Amino acid sequence: MGRGEAIISGISELAPVMDAGGRRTLDFLAEAAALAVKDAGLGKDDIDGLLVTPPSEDTYILWPSQVAEYLQLTPVFMNMVELGGASAVAAGARAKLTVEAGICRHCLCLSGGVWDAQGFNTRANKTAVMSQAEIDYELPYGPMGFNSGYALIARRHMHQYGTTPEQLAKIAVDQRINALANPQALFNTQPLTIQAVLDSKVIVDPLHLLEIVRPCSGAAAVVVSRSDRGHDWPHHPVDILGFGEAYTHNSISYAPQLSQSPVKMAAQRAFQMTGRTPGDIDLVSLYDCYTITVLITLEDAGFCPKGAGGRFVADTDLTYKGDLPCNTHGGQLSCGQASFAGGMSHVIEVVRQLRGEAGPRQVRKNRLALVNGNGGVMSTQSCLILERK
Amino acid sequence: MDYKHTFWHKLRTGHLWLQYCPACARYVFYPRERCPHCWEAQLDWQPLSGMGRIYSYTVVRVSALPEFQPPYIYALVELDEGVRLATNIEDCPLESIQVGMPVRIKMINREGHEALPVFVPA
Repeated sequence: MGRGEAIISGISELAPVMDAGGRRTLDFLAEAAALAVKDAGLGKDDIDGLLVTPPSEDTYILWPSQVAEYLQLTPVFMNMVELGGASAVAAGARAKLTVEAGICRHCLCLSGGVWDAQGFNTRANKTAVMSQAEIDYELPYGPMGFNSGYALIARRHMHQYGTTPEQLAKIAVDQRINALANPQALFNTQPLTIQAVLDSKVIVDPLHLLEIVRPCSGAAAVVVSRSDRGHDWPHHPVDILGFGEAYTHNSISYAPQLSQSPVKMAAQRAFQMTGRTPGDIDLVSLYDCYTITVLITLEDAGFCPKGAGGRFVADTDLTYKGDLPCNTHGGQLSCGQASFAGGMSHVIEVVRQLRGEAGPRQVRKNRLALVNGNGGVMSTQSCLILERK
Repeated sequence: MDYKHTFWHKLRTGHLWLQYCPACARYVFYPRERCPHCWEAQLDWQPLSGMGRIYSYTVVRVSALPEFQPPYIYALVELDEGVRLATNIEDCPLESIQVGMPVRIKMINREGHEALPVFVPA
């Protein structure tokens, strides 16, 4: 057993919806589970590992056990992965470890959640994602949750490197072009222009409404399996070649710096584990809660020099037709962020592309991809490098 | 030791006091029981200059907190002693604010805080 023996054998992603219609996180997870296991050509009884991201509801206690009970699974290994937006990608890394250690044969990674329209943009909604230290020493100054954290990063990057609002807006524009070719995307009817992004309301300067992710409901799942010679998988298997993670802070107030993120170390570790370089990568799928997240991730993962991200995104076609296809499903900016499944959408899109099943938005070169999951305010980072076998 | 209480109480002197670790000679913020740098348990309190620079800022235009009426400036200030903290910049026209701008501390009275440190242009 060893490196490269864990594959993604099955995937599923429910179309993100604004109205959950009364369904709970468990209901969404169960649908995604059934679809992913079927996609892998497996049955429920084949699943012996379970990794879940947290629910939207408050009932965290024994969450993996709740999920296993609902689905009547009896895994030999299970756990909850809570690294914020990095959880889903990190679940993939942990599934690889358990499968390659011989603990599980088929590990089901589940993520999803329900968006609560009533609680949106309220005090409760903002404080629910804050640590006690943030409540004690930041809340007295009126922070706006993740929005203000990423705004601080964007402003600092603009100051240090001359990055412009137009350059940031270009990321949202390219991702919308991708979304127009994705029937499942929440926002896939109207093309965007840089001017339209800049004309949208400033929420927390310098971030405009159309640079900020839209919360919604949904779920996504992947099955990570031990690759066995001779096994006839229904879809082209995708190798989890390697991963890298890095963690430096929780609140952005205590980050070592604002314009460089722990993505740098996470990506370096992933490249080191796999012996690949950014130049080998055919496409990327990068956590995009905000436009600035994508720009910093491109820099820190090594696709352009530090500080050159603004010019790089302005000059590079990031669509599925371009030289460095990025978030070819439209990303969370155009697909919506179905809670923790938002991060899983990045994994799933890459698997579709590597399998050659991305339909009208299929990229030409589709052997090697980098996926990034990001949680908090550039706080938790997990990178996966995936390869078509 | 009630370090939270000590932090807020000492602000009433008109100065910002932070925990300081004699073992590794570093300031500690936010307050806690043990030095996060070297894990020593013994921490002192020291007054700081109250001078610093704006490390980054955002003008909040849409607020989810009723007591915060936009627009207002939410910022990270880097103190001359090297510590970074979240705060508001006050007495500063929105069009004149800049990253790197020198600022000094000012105590204000705000809901639940008799002495809340904010910063104003130096």
